[in-house]
Amino acid sequence: MAQIAWYAITLFCLAMYVLLDGYDLGIGVLLLADRDDERRREMVELVATAWDGNESWLVLLGVALFGGLPAAYGVLLPALYVPVLVMLFAIIFRGVAIEMISAAPGFPRGWGWAFGLGSLVASFAQGVTLGGLLSGVALRGGVFAGASFDFLTPYAVLTGFAAVALYATAGAAVLRVKTEGALYRRAMLAGRAALVATVALAAASAAALAPATATPVRLGEPGRLAAFVVLVLVAAAGLGLAGRGFGRRPDWVATAGVTAAEGAGLAGLLVAIYPVVVPPRLDLAAAAAPAGSLNFLLVGVGVNLPLVLFYNWYAHHVFRGKYRVLLAARPTGQSAAARATDPTPATPRGKVTP
Amino acid sequence: MPSLTLLLLSRWQFAFTVAFHMTFPAITVGLAVFLAFVYGMYLRTGERVYLQIFRFWKKIFAVGFALGVVAGTVITFEFGLNWGPYAAATGPILGPIIGMEVVTAFFLEAGFIGIMLYGDGRVSPRVMFTACCLVALGTVLSTTWILAANSWMQTPAGYRIVAGQFQPADWVAAIFNPSFAWRFPHMLLAVLISAAWLIGGICAYYLLVGRHLGFARRGFSLALGVLALLVPAQLYIGDNVAFLDLAYQPPKFEALEGNWTSDNTGYNLIVVPDLAHQRNLVQITIPKLDSVIAKDLSGHTAAPGLAQTPRSEQPNMWAVFYGFRVMFYAALVMFAAALTGVVLRLRRRLYVARWFHRWMVWLTPIGVAAVIGGWVTAETGRQPFVVYGLLRTDQAVSHLAPASLIGSMIAFVLVYLTLYATWIVYVIRAIRRGPDPADLTDPARLAEGAPGTGDTADKPGTAPAAEPPGV
Repeated sequence: MAQIAWYAITLFCLAMYVLLDGYDLGIGVLLLADRDDERRREMVELVATAWDGNESWLVLLGVALFGGLPAAYGVLLPALYVPVLVMLFAIIFRGVAIEMISAAPGFPRGWGWAFGLGSLVASFAQGVTLGGLLSGVALRGGVFAGASFDFLTPYAVLTGFAAVALYATAGAAVLRVKTEGALYRRAMLAGRAALVATVALAAASAAALAPATATPVRLGEPGRLAAFVVLVLVAAAGLGLAGRGFGRRPDWVATAGVTAAEGAGLAGLLVAIYPVVVPPRLDLAAAAAPAGSLNFLLVGVGVNLPLVLFYNWYAHHVFRGKYRVLLAARPTGQSAAARATDPTPATPRGKVTP
Repeated sequence: MPSLTLLLLSRWQFAFTVAFHMTFPAITVGLAVFLAFVYGMYLRTGERVYLQIFRFWKKIFAVGFALGVVAGTVITFEFGLNWGPYAAATGPILGPIIGMEVVTAFFLEAGFIGIMLYGDGRVSPRVMFTACCLVALGTVLSTTWILAANSWMQTPAGYRIVAGQFQPADWVAAIFNPSFAWRFPHMLLAVLISAAWLIGGICAYYLLVGRHLGFARRGFSLALGVLALLVPAQLYIGDNVAFLDLAYQPPKFEALEGNWTSDNTGYNLIVVPDLAHQRNLVQITIPKLDSVIAKDLSGHTAAPGLAQTPRSEQPNMWAVFYGFRVMFYAALVMFAAALTGVVLRLRRRLYVARWFHRWMVWLTPIGVAAVIGGWVTAETGRQPFVVYGLLRTDQAVSHLAPASLIGSMIAFVLVYLTLYATWIVYVIRAIRRGPDPADLTDPARLAEGAPGTGDTADKPGTAPAAEPPGV
């Protein structure tokens, strides 16, 4: 029971990470397609207020595996060494780039590239990591016994592209909520294009799971099959809703649709492969920590999760609404965040004074 | 048995990435506390110089914190990447402890740092102050949990071993393990002191070049006040940590004293150890001093020598001895400087003694250097074990292909050195630009963006506008 509860919390961390950092990675990907410095700066500023909190879910996910599923953690990271490290390097560059752009006047192009490419590479590497894991990990005596590039299967590349498309869609959906003007209009077009790609790549990933990977898909049982079908329908409905939401008010519809699709998609994957944690064979019972650790984790982390969710909510709440509303009171070319960290007055540029 | 190269490369990689990470918390924990303090003082007194101090240091803090976060994320995964068997064996104990760090501290910092850095004008000054306090609390809690986890590796307790895995038997004993009670305050003071040197050093630079004097005097005075209190306390605590090693990890103590045989009553200043022949080629010693440090004034108590530990369980004396010496010599210099600061303050010459300001500028990174030295002592002194006495490091390493390890090592070195250079250039630029004089005089900037910021900005009521600039 404790094992299942902890596994649920671990997957909740994964889902929260995909939902939250997914959109800010996606905004980074979309930034690569924009040439206007003012718009690019606005995108970075939007991410700057929230990325620390969003990325924390990745750390919690890592620690949830380390503490609660140590046998899985100890093999899946050596097996996925290359994509995980590539992702971490990309995340390093983009995280530093966010603060450097925020702290600089104007839009430093080099850091802009670091932010955009870092986001793109991190998104792709995350998809590859998941696909590589599903492709199967060779174990001998509870230790990883494969080669460094075993993860690099066609399936992993497919899920890599799917992650980029999904995150870009999520990023565009959030931009619809947070922006106005040209950025708002561009987010609609980008969101629609990314959504089409997401539907195609996600459908292909789901269809190829059983034939192309070593993951045992257990949809033979009627209960599972029913749950799986329902979840796939919910995910499809979510993507459909997102498609309707891009271009219509209220602005939050697209975000709600993408969120529902992400949640239902992950749940569907879980239904199809439970209780395997590291395909093809390492399952939950073999991977889980002893009851003493799980109980401590369940109480300690369980009590704190509502607080953690509150911090996340509050941070988004403080910076809620359209970004331009805040910018209106600022000198042009300098955003709130820039002013907070850059004390050089903007007036010498001869622009509007506050 | 893994190959020697694999083990060495994995250890170097971990040491390099942890040392890089450590330089940022070593600064940002103390800076977070300092920022909360100066913002609180600004709210209390309304003196604008505190706001100026807050806004200047916030810029240094923001980028340092981001670097600490991303480098810390790497470490969370490195446990499994490079040390898979270690992760599988210690996960049931260390995973939950680090999990508590993430949910109680990491999220707290990450959740409120956005408000602290970018909330000026969006939230009321009171909420800003609360956010600053919560970020500071988060960084301190983070230090607490990480030290609990690391101290468990030094002095494991509250566990039982089932099929090669450490499983929790008594959580209170595991978290409050024997070395935690001294190592935690030691580390906390170390990071507060490191931040105080950074603040003191940069303020000393402004005093020296005669810029931003109000800003610099206030910061200089605060930093030296903190140092006068904390450095002596740290010497006392550090002494206790060293004697903890004597009780729980004799080989570490033997190596940090730099003796092979157990007959030296003097204190070694410099040694050149010859590991193969278990002797020192060069040894410069102050006679009788070690006996005095061991509280035997007669001068007859000798320090234990490393040769009494079997070779297979000896740490590397080079690393342990010189790690300790860097920390210890730095501590003596810091003590002398803090004491000089007190004397100059009493003689009312603190802001005019240029030689002292020059000295303080040179000492800017000394706290961080001492922290790194201390960690080298603690971690290399624990070798060849990763969990002291129970799990050997060579049994804890992942069986990776050497090519992936070399590749990632090169990438880490390139990326981290680039980032380090970037960070230093950024800090130097921020210092050149200096604090914003407009923070002191321009009433419109007082409650930033107060008019027309939409429905979310609370009234800027608590910030008094008519006060003259501080100092």
